[in-house]
Amino acid sequence: MAIVAKPSKLGTFGRPVLAWTVGLLFFFPIFWMVLTSFKTDADAVKPEHLIFFQPTLENYLNMTENYDYWRFARNSVITAVMATLFTLFVGIPCAYAMAFNPSRATKDVLMWMLSTKMLPAAAVLYPMTFLTKSAGLFDTHFLIILVLSLINLPIVVWMLFTYFKEIPKDIIEAGKMDGVNTWGEIREILIPLAWGGIAATALLCFIFCWNEAYWTVRLTTTNAATLSKLIEGNRAPEGLFFGRLSAVSAAAVGPIVVLGWFCQKQLVQGLTFGAVK
Amino acid sequence: MGRIVLKSVTKSFGDVEVIPPLDLTIEEGEFAVFVGPSGCGKSTLLRMIAGLEDLSSGSIEIDGQDATQVPPAKRGLAMVFQSYALYPHMSVRKNIGFPLRMAKMAPAKVTARVETAAKSLNLMDYLDRKPADLSGGQRQRVAIGRAIVREPAAFLFDEPLSNLDAALRVGMRLEIGELHERLQTTMIYVTHDQVEAMTMANKIVVLRAGVIEQVGSPLELYHRPRNTFVAGFIGSPKMNLISGTQAQKYDAATIGIRPEHIDVSMTEGSWEGYVGVAEHLGSDTFLHVHGSGVSEMITVRISGDISVNQGDTIYLTPQSDQLHRFDAQGTRIP
Amino acid sequence: MSDRKLPRLLQSPAVLLLLVWMLIPLGMTLYFSFIRYVLNSLRRPEWTSPSLSNWRGFGNYEFVLNSKDFLFAIQNSLFIVCSILFLTVILGVLIAVLINKSFPGQGIVRVLLISPFFVMPAVNAVLWINMILDPVLGLQGIAVANLNDLAAALRDAPVIGWFFALWPQLEPISFRATQTSAYAVIIMVTWQWTPFAVLIFMTSLQSEDQQQKEAAVLDGASSWSQFRFLTLPHLGRPIAIVVMIQAIFHLSLYAEIEIVSRGNGNKNLPYLIGEFANNNIGAASATGIFAVILANIVAIFLLRMVGKTLME
Repeated sequence: MAIVAKPSKLGTFGRPVLAWTVGLLFFFPIFWMVLTSFKTDADAVKPEHLIFFQPTLENYLNMTENYDYWRFARNSVITAVMATLFTLFVGIPCAYAMAFNPSRATKDVLMWMLSTKMLPAAAVLYPMTFLTKSAGLFDTHFLIILVLSLINLPIVVWMLFTYFKEIPKDIIEAGKMDGVNTWGEIREILIPLAWGGIAATALLCFIFCWNEAYWTVRLTTTNAATLSKLIEGNRAPEGLFFGRLSAVSAAAVGPIVVLGWFCQKQLVQGLTFGAVK
Repeated sequence: MGRIVLKSVTKSFGDVEVIPPLDLTIEEGEFAVFVGPSGCGKSTLLRMIAGLEDLSSGSIEIDGQDATQVPPAKRGLAMVFQSYALYPHMSVRKNIGFPLRMAKMAPAKVTARVETAAKSLNLMDYLDRKPADLSGGQRQRVAIGRAIVREPAAFLFDEPLSNLDAALRVGMRLEIGELHERLQTTMIYVTHDQVEAMTMANKIVVLRAGVIEQVGSPLELYHRPRNTFVAGFIGSPKMNLISGTQAQKYDAATIGIRPEHIDVSMTEGSWEGYVGVAEHLGSDTFLHVHGSGVSEMITVRISGDISVNQGDTIYLTPQSDQLHRFDAQGTRIP
Repeated sequence: MSDRKLPRLLQSPAVLLLLVWMLIPLGMTLYFSFIRYVLNSLRRPEWTSPSLSNWRGFGNYEFVLNSKDFLFAIQNSLFIVCSILFLTVILGVLIAVLINKSFPGQGIVRVLLISPFFVMPAVNAVLWINMILDPVLGLQGIAVANLNDLAAALRDAPVIGWFFALWPQLEPISFRATQTSAYAVIIMVTWQWTPFAVLIFMTSLQSEDQQQKEAAVLDGASSWSQFRFLTLPHLGRPIAIVVMIQAIFHLSLYAEIEIVSRGNGNKNLPYLIGEFANNNIGAASATGIFAVILANIVAIFLLRMVGKTLME
């Protein structure tokens, strides 16, 4: 039987209170943003309407008119979804090869992949602008999809690699004995078995794509601009449009925060490359 | 179908040679058991036959055809893994039928074959379950079913019983034996358990450090072990190996006498000692005899009816026709 | 064996893509960093297109090293990163230990806590700098104003009035100002990344050996000694990982700095590169190479630390 330490006052009463306080404190800015989004722009800056006010949906209803929200949202969805799919498309075969047919170089290749993630984006800012402009790719969906894929590929390969390594080697070998070829192995065994891990990886990749705020801002103007660009472009209203800005911000982060709740565990594994379990 | 010939096969991992050049022939319909202590290369050898492990040099022939470069599935062999390696996302039916589906067999034919296999393995009631819902023994049967449906030239078993509890193991041992009787297909079976080897095999291959120490039938190995290693490895309890002056009496560096080949008397005999631990199994009793001056401890197997207690003085006489003699290199003197 | 070749080939698309992605732009940056290259120059139009004839050797590097912005940007980068690391690790450990034991609503608190991590950086910055930190209209401004009003009202109260009369008029802090904009960035990034630290530390705490703790209780260890001698060493590795991962992310902070003050008084290396890149590509590239070197120093440590356990 486990030894139960004598519960102190802090343990029985203080801990929940303290924990809830901390939790609410951290969530407060998000709550505040959502609350403000239901205020009119005028109410939003009046101290007397700090908490008590007439809630309105007008900020949300006018998002298109005020910010052309849906165009940016559409770009965000398109680029994040396509980039996630493309990353998986390239990453799954790669992680498969590394997990089940490792060569002597595999470890180094993986490390090298990770090291590309550590290159500061800013260092190649001008060459990227230069190249994409001369290739006519600047401000296109294709470019943003490609860039988002490339910056997330190392993490995706790593995550998939750690998931694939958990599949017993015997099962893959049994498949070999049973006559599956390489594609069959991926389709019939690997993907069904690692489905949970692949889904979690996809979710995390999607979140990272959605939140990316360097290349999506620097390599777009209007056509392929995402929500990051939209918010960044309306950064300093000096109190003018708190209500509508809150609404569009809430609409930009809401879906992702909810998605994030579902992949907390995977986040740990993904971001620490399986080093913390 | 099912004659497997290994010709000067070797395997190295990096600089470490796990299997020095090795030749072995397994005849059609044989039940061959590879046995040896862990790390002796027996699993590696099996995996090389299966095609899961590359050869460093040498060649493998299956039914007269060079199979060295043939991918695993094309060798016509089926393998049962220690962990069963069932596909956890497929039902039992799908698991068993998987190799057939991969071979592009018509679905109706697959169903028929799966059901035949399932019937013979008593799995009919579990066909729609997932592996996770099965007991260890049932999983083992599914793994065997998956191997049977392919009608392979030979079955390969990689320590298939080591994950089962003792009682089940005895049952499965019999079932696999019966399977071999029924199919008359070549089977190669890897185990570290010499009891499994003795009870199931036609041909036992004893391996140590990648080297074949002896190949032969169970009784051959029991009666005429080629060296001290085989002598010590085959048989339970272990053969007593005695060196020194006693051995010199027989013109040998080492003599071996099995516990069951020692006559016991309370009054007279060649060696005098006292009983240390007496293990009563019911039918038999194993005595650990100390203080004989011959060897630190001699194990003796006597009938369970004889009552002996710890500390009793006892006289031992080896049956001279059952005595094994070995030279200084440990090799049998004929 | 032949059936190993295809699987191994499968990693080549990913490897090639990353290779191209890394080598070409980086190669160009390296090249540009050694030539005179500006976007607009009426005086020297030949400098406006990249060419080997404009070779400048280490001139750009010298220029960058001598510019006062560069030293400041490095200092500021390190200041921001170190402050965030310090705060997130301390807060992270405390909060993780606090919420690791079960209590009513633990699941909900976890969800509340992790949420900031998923907020996009641009929204994070806009939200904090406007709605919360604004000196007049944000919560900060309102709170300060209210405190001042309260103090003023109490000044006339009997008995305790004299005490409040001693209070100075509180001044709200403008976080957009040059001296304080770095603090705003530190606050908002700490808010965003503390949850990440908490999450990782909690995951690690769950794998702590419970029997070891029970043994410690039997040995009469106090809660503090348990924390100090068992929990903290157990967290050593996750802390190292959190530090390294965050260092990499925060060295390239950009959106927050742009939004808070457009880099006024608060440039870091990426921001400085962006500024140079408006015209002086040679200097931007040289700064970029410095940033790569800095990131590599950090990366080597990370790979050393994380790398060992990855392959088993």
